[in-house]
Amino acid sequence: MTRPLGCLTGAGLLAGLLTALTIGASAAFGGNALFSPGELNAVAGEAPVGGIDSHADRSQECGQCHAPIWGDQRMGDRCLACHQRVADELAVVSGFHYGYASAGNCRDCHTEHQGPQAALTLQEIVNYPHDRTRFMLLAHPPTGAGGAFRCMDCHPARLGEFSTDSCEGCHKQLDPAYTVQHLIDFGPGCLECHDGVDRYGVHFDHQNLVFPLEGVHLELRCSACHAGARDVPALQAAPARCFECHASDDIHSGRLGQVCESCHTPQTWEGATLDHRLTAFPLLGSHATADCLGCHVERQWSGIPRDCTGCHSQQDPHAGQFVRDCDACHSPTQWSDLHFDHQQSTYPLVGAHRKASCSGCHENGRYVGTPTACIACHAAEDEHDGRFGQDCSACHEPTTWDDVTFDHNLSRFPLTGAHRSTACLGCHKGGSFAGTPTACSACHAEPGIHRGVFGLQCGSCHSTSAWLPASWNGSHSFPMNHGGAGGQCSTCHPSSYGQYTCYGCHKHDPGDTEKKHREEGIGNLSACADCHAGGRGEGGDGGDDD
Amino acid sequence: MQGSRELWLAGLAVALITALYAGATALAGIPAASGFLGHSLGVVGFLLMLATETLYSLRKRAIRRPWGRMRDWLRFHIFTGIVGPYLVLLHSAWEFRGLAGVVTLLTMLIVVSGFTGRYIYTAVPRTADGIVLEAEALRAEVAALNAELESGDLNDADRQRLAHRSAAERRRRRLERQIGSLASARRMLSLWHSVHIPLGMALFVAAIIHAAGALYYATLLR
Repeated sequence: MTRPLGCLTGAGLLAGLLTALTIGASAAFGGNALFSPGELNAVAGEAPVGGIDSHADRSQECGQCHAPIWGDQRMGDRCLACHQRVADELAVVSGFHYGYASAGNCRDCHTEHQGPQAALTLQEIVNYPHDRTRFMLLAHPPTGAGGAFRCMDCHPARLGEFSTDSCEGCHKQLDPAYTVQHLIDFGPGCLECHDGVDRYGVHFDHQNLVFPLEGVHLELRCSACHAGARDVPALQAAPARCFECHASDDIHSGRLGQVCESCHTPQTWEGATLDHRLTAFPLLGSHATADCLGCHVERQWSGIPRDCTGCHSQQDPHAGQFVRDCDACHSPTQWSDLHFDHQQSTYPLVGAHRKASCSGCHENGRYVGTPTACIACHAAEDEHDGRFGQDCSACHEPTTWDDVTFDHNLSRFPLTGAHRSTACLGCHKGGSFAGTPTACSACHAEPGIHRGVFGLQCGSCHSTSAWLPASWNGSHSFPMNHGGAGGQCSTCHPSSYGQYTCYGCHKHDPGDTEKKHREEGIGNLSACADCHAGGRGEGGDGGDDD
Repeated sequence: MQGSRELWLAGLAVALITALYAGATALAGIPAASGFLGHSLGVVGFLLMLATETLYSLRKRAIRRPWGRMRDWLRFHIFTGIVGPYLVLLHSAWEFRGLAGVVTLLTMLIVVSGFTGRYIYTAVPRTADGIVLEAEALRAEVAALNAELESGDLNDADRQRLAHRSAAERRRRRLERQIGSLASARRMLSLWHSVHIPLGMALFVAAIIHAAGALYYATLLR
């Protein structure tokens, strides 16, 4: 009969039997060591647990920890049966094992059979809620074997213990200079300030605090501001105002107060960027480009007078004439940029005065007390040689000298008739006005036609409108309307009013008249009126002498 | 190449398993023997080794109801005989203590023994179904081949027949060589069996006890 399996030979069955017997004997005499994957931990704990000092004390009793598969208990239940302290922690919120450990997952963190001296806790407990220790591992993430951190890196003795020696050991390697100085400054109490995340841990950023670091502050050692701080409250109590740290740096000796940032930045003390507009003295015009020390002599930053004379008194060309400050007239751009309104003064400028140069009136820089009388300036220009007094404005407008507004009618010689249109100098010869004679003859020479006849009272016969017509209202020995003359003087007085002729009229033809008078024996024909008084005819009737 | 295809496939499987194992190791460290992956390696490896022995042995004895060619079953036997022990080796997590270490050691010995036996096995002439040929049968086949080779029917211009002729010549040379060493080869195979089979039995007994212990202590499920 062929065997169903080739191995079921006598030798094979014997070998199998011997193997089973050997294993059974080994298990019986070796204390089940044959089944052990490795020696148990033999390090004694702080105190006996479950009546033993170490697991190795039970190395022959696998069933102490390993419950059979058909039983109700798990291995973790047997762990907790001995490790009562852990069992208690599982039930207390503050317990080390609370919340993440249970009888079902002891082996997630703990191991055995790794040798007598091997640790019973895994090096990488990635799920342990380390934040419950008040030190989060965001900056020290455990990433498993070969990863960045293992539990024992920080807890070399045992997990429940921690020494900042661990911090120093690593951080001195990472940044020796900083770490050494940091330890000198703040001491070894790392956990007093650091919690691994929100308090000065990997996510700590000074820029997010109420005092972001800028400029030179970024280069400072922490202790420069946080001197002597040993815990978070002390760190947070660091001075935040400039003067609290920089009082000794104040080259202004406190004169500018304590708000350094008004002018300075954290970049450097130099190059202060004061916004002078925010001061009581905004810089305008040339002040904006002036050297700071020009006004702030010897770095005197406060108490600088804000009136012009505070700085410019030595530059006053007016020799202190004005009681008002310079800016009453001058703009801060430059001295020549004036905004003085003469119109607001006691002597508003009108006419040609508006175009006149200042020095034309204000000689030698004299402003205060400048006389306002015309003659004070125009005396040399007085063509009247003072005859009209000193009040030029009585006649002249300030536009030009020729702009005269003299009312002749208010004078002793009101202008009427043709006088109104006569040039002033027609009467006022040589520009002489005062004392001009008012008699007609002073200007009008007596004409030869009535020289010596009427005298010099022209107005007796003439009006100022025109010489003609003239009217004689005086006595006239001969009827003025003789022969219908109608007052036409030249009919009888063709060449002189001192003489007359009767031949001006066509009725008195000289030849005919001489013939008639010769017939009458009258030879003197030169004095007609002697005989014909009143214009009458022969005998003197004159009315009808022909 | 055709004769060692199972070795290439086994090598490929070992390479693939090695790559996966290396990846798992890189991610979470060496898979512990007591972990899910470690246990899986051990269980699958053990089943493959069990199949290595039982299936081929059963097929060898199933002459009346043959299922598959013996040569293919031998290839399967070799493939699982390499891959299975390799999985068991990985299951050990490179720790060789206690009974588990003994099992691993026996496994490796079985593999070495198996390789040795494979070459002893091929020294014994067999039919395509693996039936051991006796010397008389070999000589008869050689005679037939000689007659074929010497016949004038061979057409040298016919490539197909020429190839057949070449194969027939190679077969004749191997048979002649096997005839010369047939007696010693059969002695060697018998000796090998006397070592390999007890070793295998010891391994299976130890492995079963190891598995039973693991189940008893129930560290996987608990």
